[in-house]
Amino acid sequence: MAVVALTMARMKLAVLRHAFHGRRAHTAGTGAALGVLSALGTVYLAFVDLDLLAAGYAVWLLGWLLGPLFMGGGDETLRPEYFSLLGLPPRRLAAGLLAAAFVGVAPLVSLGALLGLLVAGLRLGVANALVAVPAMVLQLAVFVLLSKVSVAVVGLALRTRLGAIVSGLLNGAVLAALGQIWIFFWAFGQTGVPAAVWYLPSGWGLLAVRGRWWALAALAVLVLLLLAAWAALLTRRVGAARASARGRRPITAGTATGAVVAKELRTWSRDLVRNHQLTFALSYGLCFAASPLIIGWDGMLPYAGPIFIVMAAAMAANLYGTDGTALWLTLMTPGASDVRGRQLAWLSVHAPVAIVLTVALTALTGGPWPLILALLPALLGGAAGLVPLISAYALVPGTDPHRRAGNPLRTSEDDGGLTGLAYLMLALVILTGAPAALAAVWYGWAGVATGVLTGALCCWGFGLLAERRLRAHGPELLHVMRTGRKPHTTMKSRFDQLSKTQKTIASWCLGFGAIPLVPQGILASVFVANDMLRHSWFLATYMPPGLRYPVAAAFILLGLAMYGAGVWIVKPRSPGSGPSRD
Amino acid sequence: MSASTHAPALRLVGLAKTFDHKLAVDHVDLEVPSGSFFGLVGPNGAGKTTSLSMAVGLLRPDTGHAEIFGHDVWSAPERAKALVGVLPDGLAMPERLTGREVLTYLGLLRGLAKDVVARRAEELLAVLELDGAEKTLVIEYSTGMRKKIGLATALLHAPRLLVLDEPFEAVDPVSAATIKTILRGFVAGGGSIVLSSHVMALVEQLCDHVAVVDKGRVAATGTLDEVRGGRSLEDAFVGLVSDQVSGVKELSWLSSP
Repeated sequence: MAVVALTMARMKLAVLRHAFHGRRAHTAGTGAALGVLSALGTVYLAFVDLDLLAAGYAVWLLGWLLGPLFMGGGDETLRPEYFSLLGLPPRRLAAGLLAAAFVGVAPLVSLGALLGLLVAGLRLGVANALVAVPAMVLQLAVFVLLSKVSVAVVGLALRTRLGAIVSGLLNGAVLAALGQIWIFFWAFGQTGVPAAVWYLPSGWGLLAVRGRWWALAALAVLVLLLLAAWAALLTRRVGAARASARGRRPITAGTATGAVVAKELRTWSRDLVRNHQLTFALSYGLCFAASPLIIGWDGMLPYAGPIFIVMAAAMAANLYGTDGTALWLTLMTPGASDVRGRQLAWLSVHAPVAIVLTVALTALTGGPWPLILALLPALLGGAAGLVPLISAYALVPGTDPHRRAGNPLRTSEDDGGLTGLAYLMLALVILTGAPAALAAVWYGWAGVATGVLTGALCCWGFGLLAERRLRAHGPELLHVMRTGRKPHTTMKSRFDQLSKTQKTIASWCLGFGAIPLVPQGILASVFVANDMLRHSWFLATYMPPGLRYPVAAAFILLGLAMYGAGVWIVKPRSPGSGPSRD
Repeated sequence: MSASTHAPALRLVGLAKTFDHKLAVDHVDLEVPSGSFFGLVGPNGAGKTTSLSMAVGLLRPDTGHAEIFGHDVWSAPERAKALVGVLPDGLAMPERLTGREVLTYLGLLRGLAKDVVARRAEELLAVLELDGAEKTLVIEYSTGMRKKIGLATALLHAPRLLVLDEPFEAVDPVSAATIKTILRGFVAGGGSIVLSSHVMALVEQLCDHVAVVDKGRVAATGTLDEVRGGRSLEDAFVGLVSDQVSGVKELSWLSSP
């Protein structure tokens, strides 16, 4: 048993050593740095207040439990499938994989956070400190195993449509509840830390350190139970996620774009991972907006639709990546437009849900119609534009659907990249809603016109950019998906090829273009509009009345021109034709 | 367009590609005459797939260019790609569609009329014996079925050149015979085929022209008889690409009593 475990741990170490190069090392490094900071914070709690420490460990537990579900299925460096020909009994396989699961950045950082147990023990006495050592190890094992079991359970659920939908609803509800946790504290009149955190499995280690020796035994029993559960689940993990076998309706489209729409709509309804993501976004939006009802406030309810749109867009952030190398078919048919079809399909899946949800809930609360109706088209258009754009520009190479292993949540080897992309999408989609929201807050119904306009513009313009990107860099994107590696040569190498003068001009333009554009241009005109004259260093506010706006406008133009010049110098020449120059 | 009527089906000029400082394809020049059945053979890692990917516009070469019937793949992609049908090795398809849906989708993308697509899809599915799996999604296909649906997508728009990467890998003998018949018929009707394979007997049986690729270079090219020079293709191939004279070594621990 020990030999298998040790071998698997060493195998994982070897894989990790090869995997962490370049961009992935950066992502992992950032993650590790954030983790170390959180661990230090947790250990610090051990010096302050043990109640807070127990609460801290509850948060770590939730991180282990839920993190992998939203970050591409968790750590799968060693897959159970690798060992299926060895004929290992399930328990030994699980034990070996568990040993390997301890090797890695996340367990190491968590062990660091669990040093808080040792600190707490040392402050209480020698015996307590001695108990802290096994408690740390057992507690870490509980974290890792709970994470593995939860991923396995959801993976199993994703084999049937019902399972995919139910787990999507549950995950959405849990995550929304965490986001709105303040409401629950408020509702229960709870001040400080609820006593329940002590009795979660995350608190047992601390209980043991404080002299409740039974907690140590309970931890050990839990580890054994979870190990047995995981072993049982591993034997049921065979084959990839199955598609549903419902009747097939024939494709009736007659045009190329219609064909893309038909293909995408079928994928949305047949791919159970997409079913899961859709119900997750829906459940998240509804629960997030509805949870203030607990304290008798319905003001957030109308926002369920907008939240759903933003979350659904984040789920689709790697649209092209999840289809993998199927991109070759798009490259072989340069006459047809893939992006427009995907946008139409995304809208026809999401817009009806969003519209019904928004209109129904806003009618229920009588709530701010102009603002909600302004946000709806702005966000829908923004998301439909950003989904193809971001997935074409910041593509995270995915695993081809037919090569995915038993974990259906695992669509890519670069889970850090996927998570980053989802957050980027959240932020950008929210931004596309901002102009319409501001216009609605200031001018009421004019906001709706703004929303329709920005939504249409985003959808059309970002789609156009995505289309161009695919046309110009299609072979490079395909290569990234074939090999799973991003080429290092993009802007940087082009920058290295520039002459010294060009470099200087480009760096000045890109580095300082923001100064005329933002403070001297945009901000200054806002100050002028609000009659805030002679304001610190904003030149336009010092001008005579007739010249204030022209000066601000001139600065905006200057800033835009500087950015334009900088980009023009740096941008690669004629990327669409001819051999690459990198 | 007179250039396209007399031009070779496929012409590669000085194609080169470097991956991570390793030269995968080293300035390959190759001409596939119009109407020929052309076999591309070479050991694993010789650069066959990389060369074919660059030839059809799926991978951008570092230097050099590729022409299909005189149309440059990179500067006139729409014309060049309309003339070629491609079966790449191991790439994904629209996985959540059935075979018929894949063909319908691709036919429409290629700009074919709806009824033409329906007719050709019906015929292709029947000939390749995929019509029994009417409700099966491509993701559930076996490796052999994936090859067959890939071949169907390559044939769908009636191209004049077929570029097939390992078309017979994992295909059962009955289906292989069907595919051979289809391919021979295609060449007899004036089409051209480039096919890569490890299986020498197959190339000898099907092809009239051969190129041997080794370490990213073309080691020999010409008609089948020119390249094999009176020997079997396998002997000629081993002679061209093998470094050691001594031949194949055995595994001592397997053959000892």
